Amino acid sequence: MLLIQIENASVAYGSPSRPILSDIDLQIREGEFVCLLGQTGCGKSTLLRLVLGSERPLSGRVLIDGRAHRQPDRTRGYVPQKYSLFPDRTVLRNITFGAEVSDFSWFGRLTPRYYRRRRELNHEAMAHLCRFGLRESDAEKYPDQLSGGMQQRVAIAQALMTKPRILLMDEAFSALDPGTRKDMQQLIRKLWRETGTTILFVTHNTHEALSLGTRIVVLGKESLDQGSRVMLDVPVPQPCHVQEIPDLVLRLESVSQLRTVSDDAARTDSTSVIPEFSI
Amino acid sequence: MAAGFHLISATPSRTMTIVLSWILFAIGIGFYLHTSAARHRENPEDRVTPTIGQMARGISGAALTVAEDDEIQTQPASLIQRFSTGMLWKDTIATGRRFLCSMALLFPAVLLGLHMGLFPYVGAFFLRFVLFFDKIIALSLLPILFIAFGIDELSKIMLIVIGVTPTIILDTFNLARSVPNDQVVKAFTLGAGDFDVAYRVVLKQIWPRVLNSIRLNLKAVMLFLFAGEMIASTDGLAYRIALLRRHMGMDVIIPYVLWVALLLFLVDLTMRIVNRRLHPWFRES
Repeated sequence: MLLIQIENASVAYGSPSRPILSDIDLQIREGEFVCLLGQTGCGKSTLLRLVLGSERPLSGRVLIDGRAHRQPDRTRGYVPQKYSLFPDRTVLRNITFGAEVSDFSWFGRLTPRYYRRRRELNHEAMAHLCRFGLRESDAEKYPDQLSGGMQQRVAIAQALMTKPRILLMDEAFSALDPGTRKDMQQLIRKLWRETGTTILFVTHNTHEALSLGTRIVVLGKESLDQGSRVMLDVPVPQPCHVQEIPDLVLRLESVSQLRTVSDDAARTDSTSVIPEFSI
Repeated sequence: MAAGFHLISATPSRTMTIVLSWILFAIGIGFYLHTSAARHRENPEDRVTPTIGQMARGISGAALTVAEDDEIQTQPASLIQRFSTGMLWKDTIATGRRFLCSMALLFPAVLLGLHMGLFPYVGAFFLRFVLFFDKIIALSLLPILFIAFGIDELSKIMLIVIGVTPTIILDTFNLARSVPNDQVVKAFTLGAGDFDVAYRVVLKQIWPRVLNSIRLNLKAVMLFLFAGEMIASTDGLAYRIALLRRHMGMDVIIPYVLWVALLLFLVDLTMRIVNRRLHPWFRES
């Protein structure tokens, strides 16, 4: 079942307008784990924001479950690289925020029902925390007091607490050290299998994309004055073992090489899209 | 300390820091006492630099005797009663009331700034006007205010509001704008509505900074308050200072000035402590 449909979406910024994305066509089915790969500045975050609804395409349209959305809402959870937690709330309050605001209005907070619900929520959030590898003692800490990896764990927990159908992650692990990053990758993979949430994961790291996704979409520019297009859209064979990954990187490279040979102008751009090895 | 006390990387000891920080106070007091003693030796009737004894008599008179415009009742017995009917206390209450009124009027300004920063239509509607208003010298409006609102309380409070409100509005506006957009987006994805975002996410986050900005504007509030009181008032601390100037009553003026400074310092300190207690997550950077 199609969940996200992007039809001929184009985005341009500034005046004179500089195209960022041109004619993006993308269909994502429910339950897919799509990694959006591309070099810095190719517009992959912009594409994510189109799905998120915080930005609208200049032309074309973005449909979620067959409907266009004018602004971000509960159907799509969001985990950015930074600033994803509310600094003025403890970990526990951050996680329960979604349920609190959507269940109770301003006046609703004055009723005893609110306090009963809040106690329930606290229990729920505590159980939730443990699943994400956090300790109960972390619940009363402020985001500032946590390490980067812990903060991202809380951010994912916060986003999944409201059970969104789609989870959008924008370079969510890029600021973490390699060890923590690997843990987080395993965590998100596990959560994806358990919850069946559709995930759109933006990264510039080929290795990460291959080890996470069921499908990889590579964005790239054909020339400098054009917007990015979908250069490659390949499924990742399941199950994908760690040993196979170098082979896959080579395969991805060779596919993109074939394209660049046929299109001379794009050579510099799209070759630099793929070969980035890390960990 | 021996190795270059003038260097940036110098690390003075704790006692040294304390001693250094008090030196200028000691010099100031010493210089005053010296001048005062010298002038009194020349002219025992000197009124410009009263001695410590004269100031103590002046301030205890101001604090403990019934204000001159009140009807003389039976002389109250206890010290506290005498203080609470005294001139100093009466003036402090009058000024304090005006001060609190104008502080209360700053809160709508904070809310306006918040909405301007978050809602593009509100921002478009108000921003240019507030920017223009901010550039008007409030004191130059004083005559207009006195003509328009009369010389009673309203015009004095209006002066403070007009003088300080634009700064607070613009400060809050900028603070609201500086909250990362990802925070707003995240709140929406968690199911928050526009007003949840405004009050539960953005306002709560910038609140300690807003309090700080109000704290830094206390001095401006007092400045406008004193200007208003000195020109048109029948009570208040600044009224007393202006009145005593005509009698060259330096023995009361100097303690009054110090008293005002002390009060303002205490308000500032309280706000700082309250701010830190209420927002343990907030770290000034």
